Amino acid sequence: MKYALFTGCVAKGAGRENLVATYLACEKLGIELVEMTDAACCGAGVINEDNPMVADILNARTFALAEAQGLDIMNICTTCQGVHRKAQRKFEGKPKHLARVNDELERDTGRRYKGAVKIKHFYEVLLNDYGLEKLKGKVVNPLSGLKLGAFYGCYATRPPEVNDLKNPDDPDELENLIEALGATPVRYDDRLKCCGFPIAMMNKPNSMQLGGNAILSAKQAGADAMVTPCPLCHLNLDAYQPDMESRVGRKLDMPILHIPQLVAMALGVSKEAVRLKTHIVRPTGLLAS
Amino acid sequence: MELVGQMDVAVITKVYPSRSHSGAAQGGVAAALGNVDGDSVEAHIYDTVKGADYLGDQDAIEILCNDAPRTIYEMEHLGCPFSRTEDHKINQRAFGGHSFLRACFSADRTGHALLHTLVEQTYKQGGKLKVYSEWHMNRLIVEDGVCRGVVAMDIKTGRLEVFRAKAVLFASGGYGQAFKITSNAAANTGDGIVAAYRAGIPLQDMEFVQFHPTGLYQHGILLTEGARGEGGYLINADGDRFMSTYAPSKMELGPRDIVSRSEQTEINEGRGAGPNKEYVLLDLRHLGKEKIMERLPQVYNLAKDFIGVDCIEDPVPIQPTAHYSMGGIPADNDCQVYLDDKGQQVTGFFVAGECSCISVHGANRLGTNSLLEALVFGRRAGKKMLDVTPGLKLADVNEERELEAAKKEIATLYAGDGSEDLSVIREELKEIMTYKVGVYRCADDMLQARSEIKGLRERFAKVQVKDPGTNFNLNLIDALELSNMLEYSELIVSGGLAREESRGAHFRTDFPTRDDQNWMHHTMAFRTEDGGHELRYKPVTVTRFQPEERKY
Amino acid sequence: MASKVTMRIQRFDPAVDEKPHDQDFEIELPAGITILKALNKVRAEKDPTLALRYSCGSAICGSCAMKVNGHARLACKTQVSDCTVDGVLRIAPMGNLKILRDLVVDMDPFFDSLGKAKPYLEAGNGSVPEFERKQRPEEFLQIDPSTTCILCAACYSDCNVLEVDDNFFGPATLAKAHRFIFDSRDVDTQARLRAVSKKTGVWDCTHCGECSTRCPTETKPLERIEEIRTKAMADGFHDNVGARHALGFRETVGKRGILDENYLPARSMGFFNLPGLLSLVPIGLRMMMRGKNPPLIPHKIDKLEEVKKTFARFEELRK
Repeated sequence: MKYALFTGCVAKGAGRENLVATYLACEKLGIELVEMTDAACCGAGVINEDNPMVADILNARTFALAEAQGLDIMNICTTCQGVHRKAQRKFEGKPKHLARVNDELERDTGRRYKGAVKIKHFYEVLLNDYGLEKLKGKVVNPLSGLKLGAFYGCYATRPPEVNDLKNPDDPDELENLIEALGATPVRYDDRLKCCGFPIAMMNKPNSMQLGGNAILSAKQAGADAMVTPCPLCHLNLDAYQPDMESRVGRKLDMPILHIPQLVAMALGVSKEAVRLKTHIVRPTGLLAS
Repeated sequence: MELVGQMDVAVITKVYPSRSHSGAAQGGVAAALGNVDGDSVEAHIYDTVKGADYLGDQDAIEILCNDAPRTIYEMEHLGCPFSRTEDHKINQRAFGGHSFLRACFSADRTGHALLHTLVEQTYKQGGKLKVYSEWHMNRLIVEDGVCRGVVAMDIKTGRLEVFRAKAVLFASGGYGQAFKITSNAAANTGDGIVAAYRAGIPLQDMEFVQFHPTGLYQHGILLTEGARGEGGYLINADGDRFMSTYAPSKMELGPRDIVSRSEQTEINEGRGAGPNKEYVLLDLRHLGKEKIMERLPQVYNLAKDFIGVDCIEDPVPIQPTAHYSMGGIPADNDCQVYLDDKGQQVTGFFVAGECSCISVHGANRLGTNSLLEALVFGRRAGKKMLDVTPGLKLADVNEERELEAAKKEIATLYAGDGSEDLSVIREELKEIMTYKVGVYRCADDMLQARSEIKGLRERFAKVQVKDPGTNFNLNLIDALELSNMLEYSELIVSGGLAREESRGAHFRTDFPTRDDQNWMHHTMAFRTEDGGHELRYKPVTVTRFQPEERKY
Repeated sequence: MASKVTMRIQRFDPAVDEKPHDQDFEIELPAGITILKALNKVRAEKDPTLALRYSCGSAICGSCAMKVNGHARLACKTQVSDCTVDGVLRIAPMGNLKILRDLVVDMDPFFDSLGKAKPYLEAGNGSVPEFERKQRPEEFLQIDPSTTCILCAACYSDCNVLEVDDNFFGPATLAKAHRFIFDSRDVDTQARLRAVSKKTGVWDCTHCGECSTRCPTETKPLERIEEIRTKAMADGFHDNVGARHALGFRETVGKRGILDENYLPARSMGFFNLPGLLSLVPIGLRMMMRGKNPPLIPHKIDKLEEVKKTFARFEELRK
């Protein structure tokens, strides 16, 4: 198995532990990764709003780069994944638009995107390509006793036509993954809500309230930690947790994990190696090192 | 809109303003703009007179058609979004019974676009217009020929209030809920017409109920006539375009009464589709995906969501559905209500839209003329009210007595012994009306219907409202509505039984032809002291078009 | 084929109950039945006191939005069979609005909020309706989606931001704003853009996507919000954190192909916005303590010149 790895910006910046853990987990699983060092930012929906054409050209370029290598793209960020998928659905539905995007792309880069690349998040690779049964067989350090609340992140579930979840209104893909790794999934009310990251700067009180509510919901349902496929959710829920605590008026102490960290640990990688210590909220209990 | 800012105006609605059933009108609103062909107001008048099967009052029809272009321009200027032609004018499409491309439209959501444009104006008026949403109108107060206000109940709290007014306008809609297969909203239970009737005002032409040819099978939900206007076919089980038998020149674009009867004939004679041969098919496949999605997106969604049919791939099962009430509260061309068959009027009482019978639709309304009527006559009513109201004084009302009467009516609904069930009676009424007073009628069926409805009224006295609550007591509203439905259904049957001819939407298998000699008359039903009724008649106004054979 | 379904309906009568509770109704339902019809069957056969709103039954009046299995939907157009999980169908009133009784919520805050969008056409002077004003078919199509809104409030119910802040314009109100901002006949476009660019307007939307996902029409508020943001940016409404954030994003990606997380927060706050900048300090320090702060010499992608060429044509590519 071989994928073109689209790291996204956060894994190169404030969330480097996510990338480190991804490589460690894939190494254990025998998944080969070719990092797309030449791919540009997906635009995170922001460039798309600023100038939709530029965003489409950037993403068509990314797809064309993977296509040239004959590889599908693996994301480790649901925002990148969602933005890529949205672009892809648009290209599929509007061939005339894709032709224009390709003309512009060719003018700047000499490349064209033919339309053959698939976009998959790391957890989708595990669920659909690798298979949970096979994954279970590789687990050497089952995370038993650990109660984990999956936090999906908006882009993973909405809009439903852009994701591949079986039931996006009430999914269980991440819970199944958590179970396969030996931990106990905790379903809680706010698991599909927004973490508040996109408005952290525009309206911080609202952002903190959203994130705080989500963590509180997981905490009340008994989660020891939350795990998310989106490094932006991670950034907000982890780095801003002290601010969220003052907003909701409660101590939260909720460790927030990246999916690859969890997988790597279950496969035998140490807590140190997946850099749990770099999190603002230090993992405690079974996750403490 | 004509009155706001000039006098103290309140709107009382059973729902919210944006929930009115006008929003469900899909295909268009008629006006001889001539934007896409050589249409003329004259042609519009003639088509409407003919469509009405000569029972329409021609002076009113002239007003309707003459004022149509101005009305559309006014709505456009208020912001109504209209689909456009390549030269940027309001686009117009074909519609049943209209001989030119006359239906102005906003995709297939024309009623919705017009209604929301008007709702937007309520925001523009700000505090100058008071809207009472979710109030149920219980009684109309008329004494000595003067309208003095209404008694209404706040559905949120159960509180009864007297609204005194110098002038009252009813725009309370039609009465199609009495039928099992109906395109009408749940709210269309004839509350307005029955309140007027109980206040001593006659109801006109109640036997004329239009059945729309393209109701979604079993649901009755309307699929716009625009679907045929855009070129859709009607086919039977054998795939034949059966309209070639019934209206060879207009085909699917014949008027609604004729198309509905044609469908029913196909079904009755065993050429219906489906396992029980109960429906015919609306075939849009040849229009192609692009046209369907651009011009008929709502049709696509309704078929998809309600019966799981993708109309791009498959034809849609349909059947005639009770759609429009031609009958209603009689009024003159300025919407002022008549108190009798001699031309005496109620001071300060006005009607517009489907609850009125002015009568521009006669025995059969043409598609797209209803939105037009509501706009043209709604405005005329407003202007007339502005004209006459300053000369009126706020009439005395014995508020206590009115509230007592309303309370007593409600108390009666709680006093039944509970041996009969409200919803059972309602379902039985709907079955009777659809199957015995429907597309095809005859004396035997209607006599049966009459005695069965009488029985239902007796049984209704035993119904007991079970919900003692005061807020959102739907159980009580259900009972109030059913009481209205039982009352007006009798008038539909009586009018239909008495009218021994076939005209427009009223078709008697035992009297299959039109009888201009005896029946160029409007039916007027008066409530009698004992709760029964009496029928009288008044002649139709004919200006320039003498009745002739109606061929399409 | 009929089947037995447990309809688990949230009940609440403020006159009697302290708080909402679920009540189960076991009921035999025919195949192909909608949730609205099933609820009316419950009223007819089981409990006539159940309160709900409905009217047209054909997805155009917008009365019957409610939560089905936790998400807002129109009861009249939703099939029971699509939503029943293990024989149970969960029904509750909409969110973000006060419950009046059972499935009925107070709609006033919703209808009132529309007023913020100044929801009517400003036609300017000299608008005498002697003829229609001209509008190109493509101009009509631009407002086509936002004019399909039926004001059902499903988006309002599930909006994540409204859950924490009822001052937010909300998705339906912003869709209504869109309907006039993009109407070629409206003369108030710039004032409208200015109004929605302020706090509680378009930039307060967190992009959760609930509104578009729940929307039963083609209104799809999130897409409309995105279109407003695009237009506001293009028309120069840059004096707010949201627009500066987008500009900063454009600048750093245009320069490096990838985001510079050190530069963006400060750029978004505004380099002269001292309180805003100071508010970034604690989080910056926190991250530095953990070695999480983005590299000081930010990353660059390979073949950067390709991307730079595209960014060089930024304005041209707006078309």
